[in-house]
Amino acid sequence: MNDLAIELTGICKRYRYFSLDKISLQLPQGEIMGLIGANGAGKSTTIRILMGLIHQDAGEARVLGHPMPAEQVAAKRDIGFASEDMRLYDSMTLGWHMSFIQSIYPNWDDSYAQVLLKRFGLRADQKIKSLSHGQRVKSTLLLVLARKPKLLVLDEPTTGLDPVARHEILRELAHVMQDDGRSILFSSHNTQDVEQISDRITFIDRGRIIDSMDKEMYLDRWRRLRLEVPPGLHLPALPGVIDVRQQGRLAVATANAFVPDLANAYETRGARVQCIENMTLEEIFVANVEHSREEVEA
Amino acid sequence: MTDSVIPQLIRKDLRLHRLQMAITIGAGILALVVMQRGGEVSLVLGSTWYFVAIIVLACMLPVSMVVNERKKQTLAFVMSLPVSSTQYTTAKLVSTLLMFLVPWLLLLVCALALTTTGNTIPQGAIPMVVIMALLPLIGFSVILAVAIVSESEGWAIAATVVCNSTYGIAWYLITKTPSLTVNWTRHVAIWDQTVLRLLFAEFGSVALMISLTFFLQSRKRDFI
Repeated sequence: MNDLAIELTGICKRYRYFSLDKISLQLPQGEIMGLIGANGAGKSTTIRILMGLIHQDAGEARVLGHPMPAEQVAAKRDIGFASEDMRLYDSMTLGWHMSFIQSIYPNWDDSYAQVLLKRFGLRADQKIKSLSHGQRVKSTLLLVLARKPKLLVLDEPTTGLDPVARHEILRELAHVMQDDGRSILFSSHNTQDVEQISDRITFIDRGRIIDSMDKEMYLDRWRRLRLEVPPGLHLPALPGVIDVRQQGRLAVATANAFVPDLANAYETRGARVQCIENMTLEEIFVANVEHSREEVEA
Repeated sequence: MTDSVIPQLIRKDLRLHRLQMAITIGAGILALVVMQRGGEVSLVLGSTWYFVAIIVLACMLPVSMVVNERKKQTLAFVMSLPVSSTQYTTAKLVSTLLMFLVPWLLLLVCALALTTTGNTIPQGAIPMVVIMALLPLIGFSVILAVAIVSESEGWAIAATVVCNSTYGIAWYLITKTPSLTVNWTRHVAIWDQTVLRLLFAEFGSVALMISLTFFLQSRKRDFI
């Protein structure tokens, strides 16, 4: 097995109104990747392809060294998958689900499952239909985590959760990653959740990967420059700047490859730099998507 | 770890839907008791209830065990386990068939036992009873195949309507076939060529539907 938990190369999948276009991404073992995209961007389709649930039209998918979907049975023995649209059996208790999963996975750690029951405030004898949405999500995660998978694939697991439940789940995921061999692919449109736990972040939009790099690199390279511009001066987009919006005497330049010399370059062109702002991951995501769409439409 | 999780999936389905099986067996036995009371009214009433119990099970099982798996979004949970689409189909077919065959076979054996031991129905009617009792099994295999392949409640209901409409016509044609009814009143069951051909055709139809289900499932590219 190589040292990549996930390796997608040139994955294409066409539907009538949507298509995935040459998706390529790599997740090294032991890392957490956040997959961020708007609703309908292609996150779930990508995840279903790497789980072997949908067959790609073209391209190669390897998960934990197994080609997918051909070796999905072997791969899924070491994958813990939970998605926002996954439900457990309403008429059965959480304890029944735990026994069911335990009968399938020999790595099931019952003492860890008991710890998670307490930590998540769940009861094994409670029927799934009597649980709140947050408790159902936690139950699903308990079933996934206690089987000790090498790879966790979580498709929007925090959607619809209250802040406390989200915090509990993100804390548990961070705890899981203390085991160096584990990898997580975490998809969400909530950038705050992804930012908290991810090492690496991939942006996806309209079926294409538009950017993928280390989280710190995003935060280091992206800046917003607020500029004061003399009347009549039109500011160009300098190298490393993806967008300049000018309104009267004020302009905002968004840089995706910021270097301190960029401020000097604008000043030599007659602008005055009012301030240089760090950008949040959400702002970076939105700017990235807008830039990508403008490029495609141009 | 075992190579396949098919046994666990079958056990899971049996556990989840055992109540339906128990209710059918109870209703079927009640119908047989009514049939044994004697008289034409009891015979008609009991045999109607008997077939209704079997037919309702044939309609309900594919919807509750297959279509609802997608509708209630538990399919994603099952498919997250180490299982391929072919293994899932195998487990679903086996568990659903078992859930139908157990009450169907039990009630058929009870009906035949009552026929052979009681005086209500002549033993010459046994081949006819078996031929008629196999029709709901064919209907069940059609509805199950449609439910598994389409995963759609609409298509499963359409298949149910078609099958349920066909039972009446099929029973009418069988009772109007002279080569079958000629032995009806005899004191011994006659398993002649006509009966055996019909039974072969009925079992063949069930086998065809199961094979067709596997074939069409294996061609699916998107499972969820």
